[in-house]
Parts: sequence; structure tokens; C-alpha cells
Amino acid sequence: MSNPDDSYSSIAALTDFRNMTVSPTEKLVSLRKPHPRQRPQQPLSPVNKLPPELLIAIFSKITSLVVLKTCMLVSRQWADCSVELLWHRPHFGEFAKYEAMVAAIQDENAFYRYSQLIKRLNLTPISATANDGSMKPLGLCTKLERLTLTNCVNLTDSPLMEILASNPRIQALDMSQLYNISDLSINVVAQNCPRLQGLNVAGCKRVTDASMVPLSRNCKFLRRLKLNDCNLLTNSTVISLAENCPQLLEVDLHKCHNITDESVLHMFNQLRQLRELHLAYCDLLTDDAFLKLPNRTYELLRILDLTGCRLLTDQSVNKIVNIAPRLRNLILAKCENITDRAVTHSIVKLGKNLHYLHLGHCQHLTDRAVQALVRCCNRIRYIDLACCTLLTDQAVCHLAGLPKLRRIGLVKCHQITDFAIQTLVRRTNDAPCPLERVHLSYCTNLTVNGIHDLIKSCERLTHLSLTGVDVFYSRKDFTQFCRPPPEEFNEHQREVFCVFSGSGVDKLRRYLNAQQAATSAATDTAGGNHLAYYNDEDDDTQEMEEDGEAGTDGVED
Amino acid sequence: MSEIKLLSSDQATITVEKSVAERSILIKNMLEDVGEVTEAIPIPNVNENVLKKVIEWCEHHKGDPPAQADDDSDSRKKSSDIDEWDQKFMQVDQEMLFEIILAANYLDIKPLLDVGCKTVANMIKGKSPEEIRKTFNIQNDFTPDEEEQIRRENEWAEESVPRSQPLDIDEAC
Repeated sequence: MSNPDDSYSSIAALTDFRNMTVSPTEKLVSLRKPHPRQRPQQPLSPVNKLPPELLIAIFSKITSLVVLKTCMLVSRQWADCSVELLWHRPHFGEFAKYEAMVAAIQDENAFYRYSQLIKRLNLTPISATANDGSMKPLGLCTKLERLTLTNCVNLTDSPLMEILASNPRIQALDMSQLYNISDLSINVVAQNCPRLQGLNVAGCKRVTDASMVPLSRNCKFLRRLKLNDCNLLTNSTVISLAENCPQLLEVDLHKCHNITDESVLHMFNQLRQLRELHLAYCDLLTDDAFLKLPNRTYELLRILDLTGCRLLTDQSVNKIVNIAPRLRNLILAKCENITDRAVTHSIVKLGKNLHYLHLGHCQHLTDRAVQALVRCCNRIRYIDLACCTLLTDQAVCHLAGLPKLRRIGLVKCHQITDFAIQTLVRRTNDAPCPLERVHLSYCTNLTVNGIHDLIKSCERLTHLSLTGVDVFYSRKDFTQFCRPPPEEFNEHQREVFCVFSGSGVDKLRRYLNAQQAATSAATDTAGGNHLAYYNDEDDDTQEMEEDGEAGTDGVED
Repeated sequence: MSEIKLLSSDQATITVEKSVAERSILIKNMLEDVGEVTEAIPIPNVNENVLKKVIEWCEHHKGDPPAQADDDSDSRKKSSDIDEWDQKFMQVDQEMLFEIILAANYLDIKPLLDVGCKTVANMIKGKSPEEIRKTFNIQNDFTPDEEEQIRRENEWAEESVPRSQPLDIDEAC
């Protein structure tokens, strides 16, 4: 080991470093309670030559909170240099740990003023247990920058207002599903958090224009905003946002049913940065929302969700494609007026930019639309054509021409047969089929042979839904590999439920392979094809939602 | 190929290829300020042994792409990802290890500073406080009461889960 005396040559360096900036420890020592005892002289071992900022640089390479906790117990200097990192972003898997942390921030005789060190807090893991009483102490924190309270459904305005009032540095605030909170909390944010960039109040149904309009005026740096299900909001909020928050990149107005064309016009006219716009179930929207826009382009717009905007027609789609030529995700599910023309004359113009297309329940679409689409937009990774009941095997055969297709939804496209599936999965040169998620529920003409071909050819398959396909759901030997039906399903829904996911797909594959090997005799599927369709909206929407999630993964680079 | 001379704190002159020396942002900026220099550039905070070691590192890494200005988030994530050559390079006594860190900081060679810090971080991992004190020859200046207090106040900290599921609102971009 080195002799401490050797290191004197670097003492000048050490003092230099210390004087370069205000030492972080000086700041921390002020957070530490007064120390009654004379600090003993540390021997100058090599590590002690490091100035605090370099010790902090070392600790910042440690991601484990447990290791940081150990560092805190080594010495005073080590504690001073690691405490900020440890408390920067506390994390708890269980409520007892949260309580222990709260005890530390409440203790007036604590070694540090921990409440001043917390910058980010995510209480989602303890959301079910968190309530007003247990949250109240968080009002002691004053340096929070990110606060995530997703699903803390028991939380009400009273502690939240206090917490928000003492944290003017908040930049990201997630209060989604806090359905008890009202304008009172949002008004505190409006008055007190001018740096806010991200706000998620999805499901906070009591929130109205009375708080959102002031918020839009005072939080001018807003970039991301989720207002899903805040169905009391009107055009006033959206127009004020458009006028006051020019940096908005993402706006989600899912199920804000009061929103009309005026809101959309204001947003497009004023928010030039817009990258993502979700208007699902804003069902008052008409073609005017888009047709009245000037003909300038929005090169940045990547995602547009118009699910359930039932009044829109091909004209809107044409205008949208013209003004947003770089759309990557286009969601027109349940836009029932859409016809082949929207695809063949408009959507095809998106060309290689289009990765994700949802046309579920656009029942007028025919094979011709699919053919045109595949010819022009060959980078599509995700396509949903659920309930496009006019589609035949031909459409699916065209889809085989999409080299990057990972997810396909053909629920209730009841005309398709094994031939379509076999064509879909056949790739040139025996290349593996890239499909990962395949939805074929209620495609009642399918047989075990077709599905076996699918499952053999698609090595990456992780999801296969065959609900309502009787040759599958009625076979106990197959359904043993299914995942269990959702709890809220009734008896009939449970009976026809048939979804294979994850390892269930692999097990089904092995089973079918083994069966085929054991008997080369053709599987007999006679007689089962006349089952009436069960209009299983629940299963349908659930699948779509779930795939919606899967599909948005990796959308942004 | 142009060369420059560096003068260590203990007055040794070392000749080094200019492009190698410019891995040090301090030296690079200095050269940009003064233009052509013939006399040796004094490096008053680094002695000959350490300076040679640092230059060895710079030689090996001269082809690396220039460091990103704001790379912190990335380099913080994994402390174990030190490439093999660097691991070997860092197999030195503690005296030298910390001198390299100090020099890298002074000379403003961020990738070398990172490797040094990661190396020390790896030495800390998996040890108890007492083992850490022993390893680095650090005196425990807590009273037993204080140690117990710190332990209690930070008892909540547990292994954090990977941050895949609960996303802060603006982390997705």
C-alpha cells in the first residue's frame, strides 16, 4: 500500500479542484444537522485525495440504491457525497418502505434534510395503498421535478394541493386515474408550476375548463398533455392551449366528447410542433375540422388517432394525408364512412412513411384497397382490418407482400380461409415470417391445418387469438395452452375465448407438431362451421387495446 | 505529423503526437488559443508517471469518436461495461488509480474519467461499509449512534426495478 506522504505532491491539485467550484459538500453540510464533535483528521490515503465532486462522479456510476446506501455508512464525507444520489429518485416496491422513507423526511433531527433532496418520485408501485394520510408528508418536499401518481385512486385534493403548492419546480406531473381530484388541484398547478412540461390527467373526470384554461395560460412550456376521458372539457380549454402553449408536441383528447371542429382548427393553426394528436372518440368532429385548414404541411406530425370519429369521410383522410405527409401512425378505426377511395387515392401517398394503420370496422373497404396499400406502403409493420367483412382471401394474399409486417388484425374477417393464411406466411427462400401478433378471432372458416402452418412458419409469434373459431375453442387439448379469459367475461364469452400468448404459443406449436408426426391423417374439421357469430365487443376491444399498446412500443426511435 | 511537448509537474518533458494530446480538452483548447507552440506546455498538476500513463490511454483511444457533450445519462447506466483493454489499463495500485482520475478530470478527458470512476464503482460494489473502509483505508468518523441513525433513515432503499413499466410522462421521447 502506498505511503500517505507520497501524495503531498498533489495537494496543490486538490485545493485547486476544491476552489474551482462551490463544493457540493458545502451545500450538503448546510442540509446536515450541526455536528457537535470535532471532525477527526482523516489520514491521506489515496481515495481521500479526491475532491467531493470526483467522489460524487464515482458514486454516480452506481445505479443500485442498496450500494449507495452502503456508501452512506462508510464515513461522513462518503455520506455527504452519496446522499443526494440515493435520494434523487427514491423507489419503493412496498408500502412499508415508503413509510420508512416518510419517517425520515419528517424527522426534525434527521441527519440530512432528506425532503430537500428528492427530485423524482413515482408512487405507482404503491398506488393501491397510498391515501391522503400517507401522502400528506410529501408536502415537505420542495424540490420535486417529476411526480408520478398514476393510479393512486384514493388520493384527493387536500394533500395534493399542499404537495403541488410547495413544489414550483415540477416539470412532469402524472395524475392519471386520480378521479377524485378536481379543479382545485389543477388550479394550484396553474398558479404554482410554471415549468410544467408534461401533464397527464387522464381519467380525472372532474377537471373542467375552470382550471385548465388558467393552466394553459400559466404553463407556457407544456409539451405533452394527456386529457383522456376529461369529458367536461370543452373547446375553451383546447383553444386556450393552442393559443398559449406553442411548444405542445403531444396532445391526447381521447373521449373528450365536447371537442368540436373549432378545437382542431385552432390546434393545427397554432401548434406547429405537433407530433402526436389523439382525437379518439371526439365524435362531434366533422370533415370541416380538416377541410377548413389552410394547405400548409405539418412535417412533424407522426401520429394521428381518429378512432370513432364517425362523421369523417374520405375527404378528411385526403386532406390529412396532404397536410401531414410524414404520418407514421394513422388510426381510423370505426370511421365507418371511409371507403376504398380513402386508401387508394390518399393513404397510399404516405408511402414508406406509414408504419401503423388501423382501419378496423371500416366496413366498406374491399380487397382493392388492400392491394393498393401494399403496393405503395411496404414498410407497414402493424395493420388492423378487423370487421372489414368484405375482405376475402385475396386481401390477405396481398398482405403477404409486406416484408416488415409484425402484427396483423383480421378479427371477424369471416371470409378468409386457410389458403389466405398459408399465403400470408409463405416467404421467398424459406425466410422466416416476421409476424409476431396475429388476430384471427371469429375467422370461422379457418381450420387446424391453416393455423398449424401459421404457427410453424412464424417463429417469432407471441400472440395468436382464435376466439370464436370453433375448431380451436371446442378442443380441450388446444385450449389447455390458452391464457385464462378475463374475469369479467360471462359464461358464453369464456366458452368461446381462445387466445394463445407467450409460452402458450410455443406449447401449441409443439403439440401440433407432435400430433402431426403421430398421425399423418388429415384433421377432420367437418361440421363445425355454422356457428353464429357472437358479437363479442368486449373481447374485440380488449384485443385492440392491448395491441394498441404493443403496437405503440418502439414507435418513437 | 505534428508533435508537441508537455512539461510534467516534476519537470519532465514528454513529446507526444498533437492529435493524441488533444484527447485532453484542456490541451486542445489551449492549443487553439495560442496557436503554434514550440516550448513545452506545463501541466502543473500531473507528474511524469501519471502523465505517461494518461498518454498511453490517449494513444490507444486516439481513433475513438469524439465524446458527446451530454453523455451522462448513458454512461451512468452501466458501470460494468468497461472494455477489456481499459480494464487491464486500470489494473494499477490505488495511488495511481486515483491520480489517473484526478489527471483525467484536470486535463478534461471525460471518457478516461468515466473509466476511472467506473473502476472505483466496481471496487465498491458487493462490499460492506467496513470492507469498503478497509479497501480504501478510510477512517470511520461516525459515532455508533450516528451510524445507526443513518442506517435507519435510509433503510427504505432497496434494489430498484428496471424502469420499463412505470414511465414518467416525458421519458418516452
